[in-house]
Amino acid sequence: MKIGTPKELFEGENRVAMTPASAKELQKLGHECVIETKAGVAAGFSDKDYKDAGVEVVKTAAALWKAADVVAKVRVPDDGEMKRLRAEQTLISFFSPVADEAKMQAAAKKGATVIAMEMIPRISRAQKMDALSSMANIAGYRAVIEAGNNFGRFFTGQITAAGKVPPAKVLVVGAGVAGLAAIGTSTSLGAITYAFDVRPEVAEQVESMGAEFVYLDFEEEQADGASSGGYASVSSPEFAAAQLAKFRELAPDIDIVITTALIPNREAPELWTEDMVKSMKPGSVIVDLAAEKGGNCKLTVRDEKIVTDNGVTIIGYTDFPSRMATQASTLYATNIRHLMADLTPEKDGVIDHNMEDDVIRGATIAYAQDVTFPPPPPKVQAIAAQPKAEVKELTPEEKRAAEVAAFKAQTKTQVTLLAVGAAVVLGIGLIPGMPASFMQHFIVFVLSVFIGFQVIWNVAHSLHTPLMAVTNAISSIIILGALIQIGSTSWLITILAALGIFMASVNIFGGFLVTRRMLAMFQKS
Amino acid sequence: MENAFTIAAYVVAGILFILSLGGLSGQESAKRAVWYGIAGMALAVFATLVGPGAGLWLLSLILIAGGAAVGYQLATKVEMTQMPELVAIMHSLVGLAAVFVGFNADLMINYIGGIYENAGLVLGTVGADGITAVGLPKEAYDGLSSFGQLIAKKSGVEIGILRVELVLGIWIGAVTFTGSVIAYAKLAGGSSKLPFEIDTGAKKLPGGHFLNAGAAALSVLLAIVYLSNGGTFTLILLTLLGLFIGYHLIMGIGGADMPVVVSMLNSYSGWAAAAIGFSLGNDLLIVVGALVGSSGAILSYIMCKAMNRSFVSVILGGFGGPAGEQMAVEGEQIAIDVDGVAQSLDEADSIIIIPGYGMAVAQAQQNVAELTRRLRAKGKTVRFAIHPVAGRLPGHMNVLLAEAKVPYDIVMEMDEINDDFPETDVAIVIGSNDIVNPAAQDDPNSPIAGMPVLECWKAKQVFVSKRGQGTGYSGIENPLFFKENTRMFYGDAKASLDSLLTKID
Repeated sequence: MKIGTPKELFEGENRVAMTPASAKELQKLGHECVIETKAGVAAGFSDKDYKDAGVEVVKTAAALWKAADVVAKVRVPDDGEMKRLRAEQTLISFFSPVADEAKMQAAAKKGATVIAMEMIPRISRAQKMDALSSMANIAGYRAVIEAGNNFGRFFTGQITAAGKVPPAKVLVVGAGVAGLAAIGTSTSLGAITYAFDVRPEVAEQVESMGAEFVYLDFEEEQADGASSGGYASVSSPEFAAAQLAKFRELAPDIDIVITTALIPNREAPELWTEDMVKSMKPGSVIVDLAAEKGGNCKLTVRDEKIVTDNGVTIIGYTDFPSRMATQASTLYATNIRHLMADLTPEKDGVIDHNMEDDVIRGATIAYAQDVTFPPPPPKVQAIAAQPKAEVKELTPEEKRAAEVAAFKAQTKTQVTLLAVGAAVVLGIGLIPGMPASFMQHFIVFVLSVFIGFQVIWNVAHSLHTPLMAVTNAISSIIILGALIQIGSTSWLITILAALGIFMASVNIFGGFLVTRRMLAMFQKS
Repeated sequence: MENAFTIAAYVVAGILFILSLGGLSGQESAKRAVWYGIAGMALAVFATLVGPGAGLWLLSLILIAGGAAVGYQLATKVEMTQMPELVAIMHSLVGLAAVFVGFNADLMINYIGGIYENAGLVLGTVGADGITAVGLPKEAYDGLSSFGQLIAKKSGVEIGILRVELVLGIWIGAVTFTGSVIAYAKLAGGSSKLPFEIDTGAKKLPGGHFLNAGAAALSVLLAIVYLSNGGTFTLILLTLLGLFIGYHLIMGIGGADMPVVVSMLNSYSGWAAAAIGFSLGNDLLIVVGALVGSSGAILSYIMCKAMNRSFVSVILGGFGGPAGEQMAVEGEQIAIDVDGVAQSLDEADSIIIIPGYGMAVAQAQQNVAELTRRLRAKGKTVRFAIHPVAGRLPGHMNVLLAEAKVPYDIVMEMDEINDDFPETDVAIVIGSNDIVNPAAQDDPNSPIAGMPVLECWKAKQVFVSKRGQGTGYSGIENPLFFKENTRMFYGDAKASLDSLLTKID
């Protein structure tokens, strides 16, 4: 199959869907690669680089669309490109099935297959092709860099000869992939970083990145991210109010706000209101990564940087990945390459579009003249943390009751055992004519058994073999019996006793020595 | 016997023995505790030798020295993998010694009875108060050894009780003797030094348990005959029956139940000593016998609990049949080569190794220890999970690992480590099978349902080092081998680890 990548037509788009490195990998899968001339220039890859990697370079977009069986690109095709799309052709691209529904319908009608990179399901196996995550990662990083570019102070606190510099305070709203990348960048630059997310289960991830999680005083079970594929869902009005109140409280102290809150297929929620912007110090910066969907701050102007009357800079760029085109292209091209690897399982250059496969099925929105969106739910659960199995928290009273019951049961068994034991002993004592001399020995016996049970329960499991060896040695105490008997006048008794002494002493020495040998081996690290 | 010093020495020795067992609660205190035991034994023997009644000093010392030489040889030569055999064969010696001492007591009773007859009296005749024995004339009494004196002044009832005790002592001793010899032969397998070969599987003569039950019933009958003055001949018959029961009982028990058998025999040897102690009127024998007996009983109980089986079912041999249709195992066993294992170990941070009898058979403990050292040198957390019935002797794996210089503080018991598997990157199963079988938890119809097992399948990745695809000794299919995160590392454990060690440095 021939995989082709045209030059991106969207204005300001610097990324490219194929890099020389990814082309080499694609060729290993048995594919041929073709690229439009100058497609990679903006991302730092010249035509020569591609040629050296064995990629055919064609002069025009029209020629490319004609030559390629699979077209891989970044942005959703424009109307002109949609016309070039033909039947039996596969298009791999960012393609929002909701916003670009008309184009999806058109592509399906033509008989083209469309794989939308947005729709790659979020399961472990598909992480390597998850372009949204790799782009979000870049956006998060770049957001901090852009903020720093517009922020007049250091991120890190310093005490210099010229005076003390306080550290910048950064608030990251939304701890998704972009948010976590922003947190990581911000903390490594030395800023005091706070983070908030509606999904309480990410608090641990946030804290692991070195930021402080902002908790709300709010009692409501939040829908776990796992049920919605790891994405946030809409929160209740009460929750939203509590959240805004918390932000309002924080706003005057914060120097840099990075908002990344997006809900799939919806307008971005308003989280940073006008009055919060007004309460911020002059020179503060807001980076709104949700600008494409209307922004988390209503003052945000899409694709622009504005400065408010009170001197707060609000950045509404939507092209952060494109601003780091080389990095973004490398990651995106790798995502595409992994997807192609899944599409050509035999590595023979023949595409097997397996609609039974969760990942391929999920990402395909047009196939065999049909619109195949929305996909059925994936068979494998999302990667987000599984909710912990509900452990019923016992109330103090219940706990107390359980303890009392356990104690009672224990007392009962103990008393029963004692009663039975006592009855047996007393019974033996009551046997008519039982001599007292026997009972004296019997007391010794019973007490010894009792001591034995008390002592042996405490023996460490790991020392059971030495225990057996040492009990073996001391059970040879029977040698005493033989020693007493050997002095007898009867030769038979003497011989038997002599044998007994010999065997018992083999055991005594063997048992103790081997125990010592074993115990000496137990070493602490 | 009546010597105050001897009795005082026995008290001290008894306390020392208790301390020596109590000290085994920790590895460090155990090293001290074994000296308590040695001191106690030395004191007891010394006190008996200097005490009244012990004759033939020189012969006794020579015999002890001879026994010491043999014991020293045994103890220093034994491989740690052969510990179960050694312990078993030593139990047989205690059993046999108990039989001899018991017979001596019987002979002495007859001998004293003869003296009474010569003096025109009857042994055990009581005086006017109905309790105290009349005893022998002074000159005849003084001529007896102290053991003879002890018997000579017993009343009829006391003599009867003495006989009950020595019958018990001899019978238990006999069962212990043959049982231990058979257990030794089974444990030693091909390397047994006995002149005969024994099938290590569970074998029974036709008649099975009825034969045992019959022999036991006959023993009771003979005991009654003996007590009603049946004479020494009945005692010999009784001993033979005990020997047969010991043989047949242990023959019917399979290899993996050996931990229970060995600890049970340990217990028996203690009870035999206690019974003999009663008949000799020696409190130290009673104390030690009771300690050893209860120790073995507790060990047996722990082992049975670890297999979720009742003591009776283990002793009667074999597993009960499956309660119903066992769950079919789905999936396939996926093999992995040494490079794959090495790579995973390289990437893992936490590793748990689960050794079993297979490690002992393959003598792979040194390689396991070397692997552990190398992985730990790389800063990885390596721990061992020991199931209570892993191996053929309680605590067998611990001793093997200790021999290979694995520090004991990374060797964990099942209860300590079972909750840690979900946070573990790699679990390595070396030569264990039933103790890591998830069917014990998942399949109520499995023969081992309810047995506590090591939940190694919860680790992210499991490697199983195993000879081939067969089932374990119990013949139960192990679904662990078919799990998605399990990879089979086929081959002899030692050879596999050897090749693995070349890949990890």
